[in-house]
Amino acid sequence: MKHKNLIRLFLALATVFFLLSISGEAISANKSSSIATVQKVSGTATVVREGQTIPAKIGLELYENDSLLTGRDGSMGVVFNDETLLSLGPESLLVIDEFVFAPRQGKFSIAIRMVKGTVAYLSGLITKLAPESTHFQTPTSSIGIRGTKFVAKVEGE
Amino acid sequence: MSPWRNILFLWIFLCLLSGCGAHRAKRDLIVLLPDPDGKAGAITVTTGGGSQSLDKPGYAIVVEDPNQAPSTSQPMDQKEITDVFGPALSTLPDPASRFILIILYFERDTIKLTHESKDLLAEILRTVKRRQSHEVYVVGHTDLVGKEAYNNELSQKRANYVRDLLVSRGIKPNTLFVSYYGKARPLVPTRDEVPEPRNRRVEVIVR
Repeated sequence: MKHKNLIRLFLALATVFFLLSISGEAISANKSSSIATVQKVSGTATVVREGQTIPAKIGLELYENDSLLTGRDGSMGVVFNDETLLSLGPESLLVIDEFVFAPRQGKFSIAIRMVKGTVAYLSGLITKLAPESTHFQTPTSSIGIRGTKFVAKVEGE
Repeated sequence: MSPWRNILFLWIFLCLLSGCGAHRAKRDLIVLLPDPDGKAGAITVTTGGGSQSLDKPGYAIVVEDPNQAPSTSQPMDQKEITDVFGPALSTLPDPASRFILIILYFERDTIKLTHESKDLLAEILRTVKRRQSHEVYVVGHTDLVGKEAYNNELSQKRANYVRDLLVSRGIKPNTLFVSYYGKARPLVPTRDEVPEPRNRRVEVIVR
């Protein structure tokens, strides 16, 4: 068990370094507006954006395609622009693939991918106004949400 | 010392080393919790093998294999929920004051508010003022009696009626967002053609 975990950790770190090395110049391509804000942080918690790792701090703004990553002692909570609340427990990884909240255009979409760890989720306005546009994915299943609070644990690879 | 004992020790040692017995398949656990207002919504868990719904708070679904249907829902005790999800739950931001939902009910087949719901208009106006809201959502619905097209139109009329009412009381039109869903989203799920007063409604969400 311990061995496997160490090997996994090593592979994960190697992947992160590799991604960092190839995408160093692609940063700042994303000029769109922020979609969420970090509101609570405890222990080690980071945001991975286009290969860059940013320490999560209260007030940090998030963008589409950001990944949220917590360490062994870490947890973090975020508030999306539509008041969806989401938090991660320790050793968790989650990707915000898509988030659109544009009531004036009638456009709503939220697509979240849980890779591993624990998550708590309380749906916001998007799920109230357009429940079919909420997509929550885990490695084994997709979760359809009709306005609710739930928690999920994903063991991942 | 018997040779069997040595074999046993060796076996235990190898187990510790390799983690035998530990099932390393991907496994998901999903638990529905009560909403902050005490009610529970519903979620549906879908894998390559099928779907399972959860609509009771404190109940859980387990997915062992992405190619098989999720488990049927089982109750999970509070202590276990706290053990597994404690850190995530304690970092979930405070849900209080996100938005206020006020539901207005209508008489059957009309855009006439029920007597009780007329009194709620003042509360909506107060809420908008107190929160200095620039976002008020007005969402029309019907019960399941009648055809889809008819109900879509009825729910639209109900929503527009409430919008006009709010505008006439001084709410700025550009802060109001109207949508309607006919019979597609009952508050109280019923079979088709079942009259249900609680589904004849306009939901007003004040942010």
